Amino acid sequence: MDIQNTQSQMRKGVLEFCILSIIRQGEVYPSDIVEQMKRANLHILEGTLYPLLTRLKNAGLLNYRWVESNSGPPRKYFMLTDKGLEFYGVLENTWQELADAVHALTQPQQQHSNPDENNPNSNQQNTN
Amino acid sequence: MKKVININFQGRVVPIEESAYDILKKYVESLSAFFANEDGRDEIINDIESRIAELFSETLKQGTTCITDDDVNRIIDSMGRPEDFEDEEANVKSQLGGEQKQSSQQQSYTYQSSETKKLYRDENSKVLGGVCSGIANYFGIDPLIVRILFVIFFGVAFVPYLILWIAVPSTASTIIGAQRKRLFRDPDDKLIAGVCSGLAHYFGVHVWIPRLIFLIPFISFFLRFGHWGFWDFPHFVSVSFSPGATFIYIILWIVFPEAKSSADKLEMKGEKVDLNNIKNTIQSDMEGFSKRAEEFGKDLSQKAQQFGKNISETANTHGTATVKKVGRGIGDVIVIIAKMFAYFIIGSILFAITVTLFVFGVMSAGFLPHKEFILTNGWEDVLAWGTLMLFIWVPFIGLVTWIIRRIARLKGNSKLLRSVFIALWVLGWICFIGLLASVRNDFRYSNHPEEQTVTLTNAKVNKLELRVPPHSKYYSNRSWFRLEPFENLDDDTLYIQNTKVRIVKSSSDSFQVSIVKFADGRSKKEADDIVSKINYNITQIDSILQLDRGIALTKNEKFRNQSLIITVAVPIGKKIKVDYDAGENFHVQIGSNWDDEGWDWRYYENTHEENWEHNREYIMTEKGLQRTDKLSSDEEDNSSNNAMDQFKKSKEQILREKEQKLRELQEIDKQLQDGTDSNRYHYQPEKNKKADPVKKQSATINKQLFNDFLMMRFYM
Repeated sequence: MDIQNTQSQMRKGVLEFCILSIIRQGEVYPSDIVEQMKRANLHILEGTLYPLLTRLKNAGLLNYRWVESNSGPPRKYFMLTDKGLEFYGVLENTWQELADAVHALTQPQQQHSNPDENNPNSNQQNTN
Repeated sequence: MKKVININFQGRVVPIEESAYDILKKYVESLSAFFANEDGRDEIINDIESRIAELFSETLKQGTTCITDDDVNRIIDSMGRPEDFEDEEANVKSQLGGEQKQSSQQQSYTYQSSETKKLYRDENSKVLGGVCSGIANYFGIDPLIVRILFVIFFGVAFVPYLILWIAVPSTASTIIGAQRKRLFRDPDDKLIAGVCSGLAHYFGVHVWIPRLIFLIPFISFFLRFGHWGFWDFPHFVSVSFSPGATFIYIILWIVFPEAKSSADKLEMKGEKVDLNNIKNTIQSDMEGFSKRAEEFGKDLSQKAQQFGKNISETANTHGTATVKKVGRGIGDVIVIIAKMFAYFIIGSILFAITVTLFVFGVMSAGFLPHKEFILTNGWEDVLAWGTLMLFIWVPFIGLVTWIIRRIARLKGNSKLLRSVFIALWVLGWICFIGLLASVRNDFRYSNHPEEQTVTLTNAKVNKLELRVPPHSKYYSNRSWFRLEPFENLDDDTLYIQNTKVRIVKSSSDSFQVSIVKFADGRSKKEADDIVSKINYNITQIDSILQLDRGIALTKNEKFRNQSLIITVAVPIGKKIKVDYDAGENFHVQIGSNWDDEGWDWRYYENTHEENWEHNREYIMTEKGLQRTDKLSSDEEDNSSNNAMDQFKKSKEQILREKEQKLRELQEIDKQLQDGTDSNRYHYQPEKNKKADPVKKQSATINKQLFNDFLMMRFYM
């Protein structure tokens, strides 16, 4: 079992959720998403972000608006659609359940840290 | 000092260093290859490009005059390379697909490269280049099996191994994210063309290792005069392979591009230059292939459909559709099979031609020491070299270069290369034909053969034994390359073994030995001259007739098909023996059935007496030669009569035996009545007797055929 692999999988599981939550707060430019996530200590490559946004947009969860920029070509600002908002709501519920479950499992018994680390992943997949 | 160019990037003019532009271009190419199967590929790339453009304009605003390599690399680092987000992507996609539960969406996420198997060289469990374990991984078998197979078929598998080593990407390129290295010639660290240093960069070894490998044949070349045991093999290697090493070097020189730009140099050293070119090439290849296959398939399926329609005239409409479908399926299958077959055949033919050329090249290199004994200096020499270089090695180099370039998918001045190769090869043809014509001319005329009697010191001996001097140690060591009729090549003397011994019945009561010499030349006179130079010694010491090992030639006397026929006439009742060594050297013929008048020297056939054996004593009888050990132990003086008696006796005995067996057979037949087991009693003594000589005959005929073949070549 590769620790790095497990870590990155845990992070990736919540990636869309985080991105959608950032976009929910208002229209946003992709590199600002990267900035915000970096500030929250969650790193993502721009090269990974753009395809993800495109896919979410094609799925009808996002919409975008062209904004003229004085520092280069016009920028795409992304926002949530109604469908996206709905989608985000479902995800938020799932996350809340997951967070509670993880919290309940990890807090009282510190010594079983190893199997617990794997749990979030499998839990998440089950709920899906 | 760097060249700066202006590019139109996302609608803006951007001044950028040329090398930086190369890196950027390759990066964008790698992205488009990576997202090749993605629905919104163009949009994604456009987004990324406009972000890069934004970053460019930010950089330019800070006061720099142009975008440099460092700027581009920094931006690419922040954007991420395909290798960096490949792993991430696959997971994100599967998650997204699962959450959305939209089948149409999911279909667009069938991203191939993370699921299908690919052949990689296994960097983690490699012995040499990781090819074996890579193949084992690919087929899901134990690497040990592949390795054992490789070792067993080392001779055959060695070249494919090298090719795979070069052509197949290492797992390191995906796991670590390192760039696939490419083979270049390194102009910064070169002795001749930088091939060795390029190889060293590629395989990550010290420069002197490939250099040494190329030098080894040349080093042994200088040791060629050491002829004690161990060095004998390197000598052979050097003769045939030091040209080989040169040719390999030349091939690599042509195949490897020179590392000109800094991006090239980075690629050569395997440092990070972002290009997912492996995937790129494979994908573009597959696209082209499927298109071509489709076209062929359509062609054939149309015919199949027509065929189907013809059938459908008798069937109902429902039937037509199914027939059509089946027809199309069959058409596709036929196309695929036909294409595979064609590729296989073309591949085999190419391989065969290449190997043949290589073998010819090595053979001729081995033949070079003999060259001076055949060719007159000057033009023929030039033609011979021209033939070797241009007629044999040029197409070999051309083919190998072409194959490697195909495999490595190198583009460039291949048109120029091709015409140069073709021109050189045409020149090679001219040389070859010229050489053949010239050599054929050298052998055009034959001499007037004359029979010369050899005076024997004591012609009245009872027994004569033909012997040749034994091999000297020096000669016998050098049997690595042996081409009859040439034997015993000294540095300036060659011994030809075109010598035949003919044993006939003497009309008098004493031995008579005569010799006839032959040769060819540009004219009758020249042929006669050459014959007169043949120095062949026959000396008698009591009952031993000492013959020379062959016709000695120096480099001044060329090989012009010199040959000898030695006739030994044996009187009746006297014995003759051909020593084993001599028997191996000469084509011994016995027989009294030739009458000397009508016998044509030129066109007599190389028929061996079928039961002739070397190293046995024979005795001349009225009916021809008989082996003495087949006779009963009679005295020598009246052996001839005894031999005849013995022969008659034995014949009578066999007949008697036969009668007896026949009688037995009849008795058994009576007993059995049915005759079911009759096969067992088909006893034929003659058959048994003959079985042995027949085998021997076929063996000698084989040897004979080979000699004839060689002779034929020189008659041409």
